[in-house]
Amino acid sequence: MAISLSCLPLVAMLLPIFTHLAEAATVTYDFNITWVLANPDGAFVRPTIGINNQWPPPIMRVTKGDTVIVNVENSLGNQTTTLHFHGLYMNGSTHMDGPYHVTQCGIAPGVKFKYNFTVDQPGTYWYHSHAKGQYPDGLRAPLIVDDPDSPFKGMYDEEYVLSVSDWYHDQMATLIPHFINRRNPKGAEPVPNAALLNDTQGLQVPIQAGKTYLFHMVNMGAFAGQYIWFEEHNISIIEVDGIYTEPANAERIYLTAAQRCSFLLTAKNDTNSNFPFVSSMDTTLFDKIPEGLNWNVSGWLLYDQSKPLPDAAIILEDSFQEFDDYTLVPYDKEPLFPDPDQSITLEVVMSNLGDGANYAFFNNISYAPPIVPTLYTVMTAGATAANTQVYGDYTHSFVLGKDEVIEIVVNNNDPGKHPFHLHGHAFQAVWRSDRDAGNFNETALVSVSDFPAAPMRRDTFAVHPNGNIVLRFKADNPGVWLFHCHIEWHVDSGLIATMVEAPLELQRTLSIPQDHYDSCVVDGTPVKGNAAGNIINLLDLTGQNAPPGPLPEGFTTRGAVALGFSILSAFTSIAVISWYGLADI
Amino acid sequence: MPNVFAPSVFFIVFREVLEAVIIVSVLLSFLKQCLGQPDQDQKIYKRLVRQVWFGSLSGVFVCLVIGGAFIGVFYGVGKDIWSKSEDLWEGIFYLIATVIITVMGLALLRVNKMKEKWRLKIAHALVDKAKHHNAKSWLGAWGKRNALFILPFITTMREGVEAVVFVGGVSLGLPATEFPLPVITGLLAGLLIGYLIYRGGNVLSIQLFLIASTSVLYLIAAGMFSKAIWSLQFHTFAQKVGSDVAEQGSGPGSYDITQSVWHVNCCSPQTDHGWDVFYALLGWQNSATYGSVISYNVYWIGIMVAVSCLLYEERTGSLPLKTQTLATLAKVPGLKGWAKKKQAISAEERAGIVRQGQAHLAGGVFHDSDGSLSEDNRQLAK
Repeated sequence: MAISLSCLPLVAMLLPIFTHLAEAATVTYDFNITWVLANPDGAFVRPTIGINNQWPPPIMRVTKGDTVIVNVENSLGNQTTTLHFHGLYMNGSTHMDGPYHVTQCGIAPGVKFKYNFTVDQPGTYWYHSHAKGQYPDGLRAPLIVDDPDSPFKGMYDEEYVLSVSDWYHDQMATLIPHFINRRNPKGAEPVPNAALLNDTQGLQVPIQAGKTYLFHMVNMGAFAGQYIWFEEHNISIIEVDGIYTEPANAERIYLTAAQRCSFLLTAKNDTNSNFPFVSSMDTTLFDKIPEGLNWNVSGWLLYDQSKPLPDAAIILEDSFQEFDDYTLVPYDKEPLFPDPDQSITLEVVMSNLGDGANYAFFNNISYAPPIVPTLYTVMTAGATAANTQVYGDYTHSFVLGKDEVIEIVVNNNDPGKHPFHLHGHAFQAVWRSDRDAGNFNETALVSVSDFPAAPMRRDTFAVHPNGNIVLRFKADNPGVWLFHCHIEWHVDSGLIATMVEAPLELQRTLSIPQDHYDSCVVDGTPVKGNAAGNIINLLDLTGQNAPPGPLPEGFTTRGAVALGFSILSAFTSIAVISWYGLADI
Repeated sequence: MPNVFAPSVFFIVFREVLEAVIIVSVLLSFLKQCLGQPDQDQKIYKRLVRQVWFGSLSGVFVCLVIGGAFIGVFYGVGKDIWSKSEDLWEGIFYLIATVIITVMGLALLRVNKMKEKWRLKIAHALVDKAKHHNAKSWLGAWGKRNALFILPFITTMREGVEAVVFVGGVSLGLPATEFPLPVITGLLAGLLIGYLIYRGGNVLSIQLFLIASTSVLYLIAAGMFSKAIWSLQFHTFAQKVGSDVAEQGSGPGSYDITQSVWHVNCCSPQTDHGWDVFYALLGWQNSATYGSVISYNVYWIGIMVAVSCLLYEERTGSLPLKTQTLATLAKVPGLKGWAKKKQAISAEERAGIVRQGQAHLAGGVFHDSDGSLSEDNRQLAK
């Protein structure tokens, strides 16, 4: 199914002819969340979650400084939803961030909910559902923030938005129960059925000879990282996750789920041929590669419509030399944060709980959402909001002081690569070890001199299998921010921690609109109290949501009784046999 | 130990060899009684004794050849067939093995019964041979003359082939290295005990040894039954999960939590040293299911019931409800003949057959070259 990009509405393309006015506008979107039948890979028609009866959902495009209003109405009928604007800091508007039962209740079917926030950061972002593993069903799309004062203004002629994604034929409501199941004790994630470029396949991007194009790329997938390259064209990376970088030349880039990248691509000077570009899913995390799976998707840089469309060259995954985003230098060269005020160490562990299914843990805690959204606990817990206990045993909350420098060390005890994302901030990626390096500073001593002076920054960063990463950020944005792996399967199985940043400050400054509280009434979610909904004794967490209990270790009463009885019957039987034997004498 | 010695093979070989030795000893004592008395012809006696030995040893030799060939072909050809659904096959094989061992295990405790049974059988055979072989056909005459070669030859060969088949059945899942040692030791043990029984040695210590070996045999069988059920349950679980279950080792995720009675992360027979001995002898699993535990106990209860029935039979003459059941069955058309056969031959009838057989033997039916002389002798014996 081939679409030419030039058919997209002009809203998606920005030509320098239209100079943008510098005054901040208010951009309003009315999003009616609906089911839409779609078949993006030409192989399977399935219900997807679209907006205003259309799928793919529209690309949001605003300018730096704009106020954005999104009026959401849930017309799905059978599922709750929320929207999260990935990468936007939501400064002063943490209640608009979107994760279910963290900063809001769910938007139940039939409910209306208004998101209202100001965007003061340029770059490439995306928005997606943040409720119960829903977004891979289709509720995700790019969000571009234009910058009239961009340092790269004038270096390009045209812009394109290019999304990549993995794609499943089954709905998440079917896949999640099979994934978190005692019959899947190793936690093998469902393998996608296809890869998509701009939610389609066979994409053709019109290119004019000699021009330079700015591509905004987003990986909107649920699971798979993607290797992206343009045959016989190099690209120059100028922005990642909303942070401008020193231009970096690359042949091939790797985007984990949720990462974005803007780069400049200079067209060739002749129109002799068209060139394929490929996005190849990282299959190392795929449990089994089913017969007939094509994990690549290709498109074409269309120089000349009359020329043929060549097939992409097959390149073996071993010889992918993708660009290492750790080596990027931010354009503003923000210096490395000095000694952190608080250092949080999180170990990634996958293990089984008492129902036999596989769950994901940070240290020894697998996330379970609180009964009262964490932000509402902050707002109603008074002075106790500074005590992490009030947020429950399973939200894995940390209280951060205002303007503290926070360090997060992630030790990956799993043989899989994980992309970690922090809401509300772009962090400094201070260190990333090689694979199999073990825990940070346990075997190889890494010191400050090994850290870059101006570390790269982004909001989603991958840790290598059995390796470690160190991230630093300044807690200058009071709010409740999740820190989690952005593989949606691991979100469902509990690889989440909560950063409660300056809770007492939030109590003073934040004001939550009534329609947010109204949305809680529909499904009966309490809006006051601790994680268990207790308003009287804030440290009493009886009744809180919890993951299944641990697997019984060793002999339980049942086991001891069974073993004892078996031994008894063996002895008795041998006595009977001996009696029989002796009766012959 | 477990990789060079399979206890079940040892016990089967031991039992079959014991039975073969008993057959030979019964024949020899028949001969001694009828022809070996000090006042009888020692030359004929010695010749017949030699025939018996030749017959039995040739039978044994032939079985060893057949057995070796069978096992060799079996292992050469058959092994790959079931690598894919290993647990399913293992479960089925263990079930077969359990049935075999259970059925033949108890007979070991009634050596006198075994002796009596063989006396009857051999007497029958002698009577039949005397009746049906005419001097007229060449084969018939040769057969009659060498009946005391043919009889032990056929019986030992039959016992031996039985042993081969049983060993095959019991050991379908075992590696080939586990065969030689138990076969040899079983052979030696059977010979020893058989000889002691023939010599009429210390009845009590022999019987105690037999009781001990039968108890161990049944411990193994109970363990095997439990293992069979466990393997079948594990196979079902592995099918549902896919092929990854084996990679979990003995940790979480390697077993079905809803079926688990106990699970310890150590002491796995598959991975930990020493615990595989417990597995082989007792059916120990570090991860027990309801099926494996219940089947273990059900097996023992079954054995206790069976042994109690046998004891009852010995005390009262027949199994509980047997006479009534057979009487009913005898009325059913078609089963009449079978039921009649099963209804006990009385002790007098048994003694009568034995006497007839002895008479044929003493009357020289089987060692005269002259047909007419044997006819006369037969008339005399009547």
